[in-house]
Amino acid sequence: MTARSQDKNSGRFFRGRNAAEKRFLAGTISPLVLYLAFWTIFPLLWGITLAFFDYSPRQTGGFLGFGEGNPFVGLQHFENMLNFSADAPLEVQQFHIGIRVTLLFAALVVPLNLLITVPLAFLIESVNGKAKGIFRTIFFLPVLAPSVGVAIMWGFIFHPQRGLLNAIIGQFTGRLVGTAWLRDSSLTVWGIPVALFAIIIAYLWQDMGYNLVIFIAALQGIPQSIKDAARIDGANWLQMFVRIIIPLLMPTILLAAILTMISAFQVFDIVQVMTEGGPDDQTQVLLLNIYSYAFRYQKMGWAAAVSIVMFLVVLSISFVQTRLLRSEWEY
Amino acid sequence: MFNKFVILFVLMALMLSACGGSAQTDQPSGGEEPVTGTEAPAAAEKVTLRVWSHQNDSFNAGYEALAAEYMGLHPDVEIVFETFDYDTYIQTLQTALPAKTEADILQMFGSWVCSYAEGGNLAEMPTSAISLDDARAKLLNAPIGGYICEDKLYGVPQEFNIEYGAVLLNTAIAEEVGATNYLDDWANWDEVIEDGQKMTVVQDGVMTRAGLNFTGSDGIATMFHSLYLQYGGQYLQDGVYTVDTPEGVKTLELMMRLVDEGLVDPVLYNDEENWVGDSFFAETSAMGLVGPWAIPEYSGDYEEVAANTIYQPLPSVGSDPVFAAASGWGLTVSINSKVQEKAWDFVNFVTLDAGNAVEWNLASGTLPALKENITGTNAESLIAEFPYFEPFLGILEYGQYEGQFPDRDFVWYEVTYPTVLNFLQGNATLEETLQTIESEVQGSFQ
Repeated sequence: MTARSQDKNSGRFFRGRNAAEKRFLAGTISPLVLYLAFWTIFPLLWGITLAFFDYSPRQTGGFLGFGEGNPFVGLQHFENMLNFSADAPLEVQQFHIGIRVTLLFAALVVPLNLLITVPLAFLIESVNGKAKGIFRTIFFLPVLAPSVGVAIMWGFIFHPQRGLLNAIIGQFTGRLVGTAWLRDSSLTVWGIPVALFAIIIAYLWQDMGYNLVIFIAALQGIPQSIKDAARIDGANWLQMFVRIIIPLLMPTILLAAILTMISAFQVFDIVQVMTEGGPDDQTQVLLLNIYSYAFRYQKMGWAAAVSIVMFLVVLSISFVQTRLLRSEWEY
Repeated sequence: MFNKFVILFVLMALMLSACGGSAQTDQPSGGEEPVTGTEAPAAAEKVTLRVWSHQNDSFNAGYEALAAEYMGLHPDVEIVFETFDYDTYIQTLQTALPAKTEADILQMFGSWVCSYAEGGNLAEMPTSAISLDDARAKLLNAPIGGYICEDKLYGVPQEFNIEYGAVLLNTAIAEEVGATNYLDDWANWDEVIEDGQKMTVVQDGVMTRAGLNFTGSDGIATMFHSLYLQYGGQYLQDGVYTVDTPEGVKTLELMMRLVDEGLVDPVLYNDEENWVGDSFFAETSAMGLVGPWAIPEYSGDYEEVAANTIYQPLPSVGSDPVFAAASGWGLTVSINSKVQEKAWDFVNFVTLDAGNAVEWNLASGTLPALKENITGTNAESLIAEFPYFEPFLGILEYGQYEGQFPDRDFVWYEVTYPTVLNFLQGNATLEETLQTIESEVQGSFQ
């Protein structure tokens, strides 16, 4: 069945059915449609609309709260975002910081995640017997942990005075170590804040289980005959991984890269608990920025406009990733 | 055709659900007939007053005791309390006020009041209840300041929220290290620094106990603005915010001196790490700048430390110990309430009667907002119950309302705290810090 004929059929969804069937179908589908409309489509439209108003829930407006105290401002929020001068309003400066930090975070998280999970999945898959299941479970367990709990745990590890990391370093150096990994804005590596690295470590620790499971499933789908043929041709372990496995995993890597990137753009809870965007806004990711302006400072119009920009950025990067990582391989 | 019907149905449902808020009915409890949002009650009808507040057991116990007393005096009134945890309360107010589904009486923090009042959500207090001049005469300057918006009164504060003026001090540590200046009250900051230095512990270059932890967000923001006032400046006048002045320079110099003299390491001690309340009661800070609410909050878990804790008044760099304060919790009435007269009557009963007001302060462990209650027998009963109130009661009259900002939390937590902390950590110059604070706070007015 082609996609075109599927469309035609869905257009004739109720055609050729008797009245009782139509009532049954309408009765069973309508609640789901309403649910979807109310909880997904309506908030989406609401959010888009807010972006064109200077909307604050503290102000009284007209119909649905728009107008009067919450005036229509058109594209003003988006124009403000393009103000790169030093005297730009704080929310604009923080938006620029948020974009920069989020892009940096995603740019580091996606490759690091893939660099860890693809070889790890290959290694786990090559283990025989019960050990394979044990490894899979161990690496997937952090995914099941609540993010806030993960953030608290890593916050403890990085704590300057009571932290595990400083305690371990102190054991080796024989003196008290009080490095504030999450709070000292002067700590950087290659110009990247150490606090951001600390968050990336916590994030990867929790997140990589997802990709690991995806890659293990994909590896199991690669026909044994291809691997056998490579071995007969004299391919060693590394050649097998680089020349055979990686190209065949490319569609899965693309999917995992996009999912990881989207998830990285949506990072919030770990940052909120571990650093609250500090030190000196070095970990102020965009979603934290949106949350602060929407719910703390109640500038919902501005926050909605930033959300739209974030959506467009994610969409654009996903599109570019799809183009760049497109695979010609089929098996 | 059927598909079109489904789409039409969905759209109609959306429209109805979106518009439904304004027609919602108030929900009284106890099986009473509801007082609808569109009809005023008849004279003989029992009136239900809905009160919204944030969840705080001691606050709400105080409200409920006074409500029971009020209902005893007014059998035609039933008072129903609905409470929300703090974050939920803020979000509920944000959604309920535009939808007009809020309660008749709304507990508000003073610094929120004007933004809701200017949004047309709160009722102005009728002069028959109390005039603005009388309110100013009866209530302390800082708490009432939050409830006055463009010379109109929108509610009454019940407490004085204070974050500056005195510090928590661990007397056991002071005795152990021989810090004694505080015993005769500090005459100046040199004496504070001397005591603080004795109580600070640094091991291998790492500060393990801060002498004076003032680098939390409230501590930094209120100290900055309070010292600015004490040096003779006025940071907010006629909607113009100015701190890039000689007074601002002196303020930051003093704050930096506390860091340079080794009383606190602002990288290790701030809002996110070693927060002042936690740190003081964990004894990693010997002195801490935090409001009097900290003692009841922590004393249950840290009985030993609490037993050795006093509040010690800070010296002033000016002639009077003036300080900036953020109003306090109080009660307002919704503009949408159909029983405003009764609502204001209850608000008056709770807040303006000195006996009732102090009863609530005693129940909630808060400082009074009424001038009458900072001296005399009511003050004595407060000190008997909360001995650590004593140093505060003497300075409350010097409190100045921190000012009407478009968004006070933004000024405090998004601008002043991170910018001054950055300066104290050595990442910005004094001039840059003052310029940044001034321009960003002023920018928030636009």
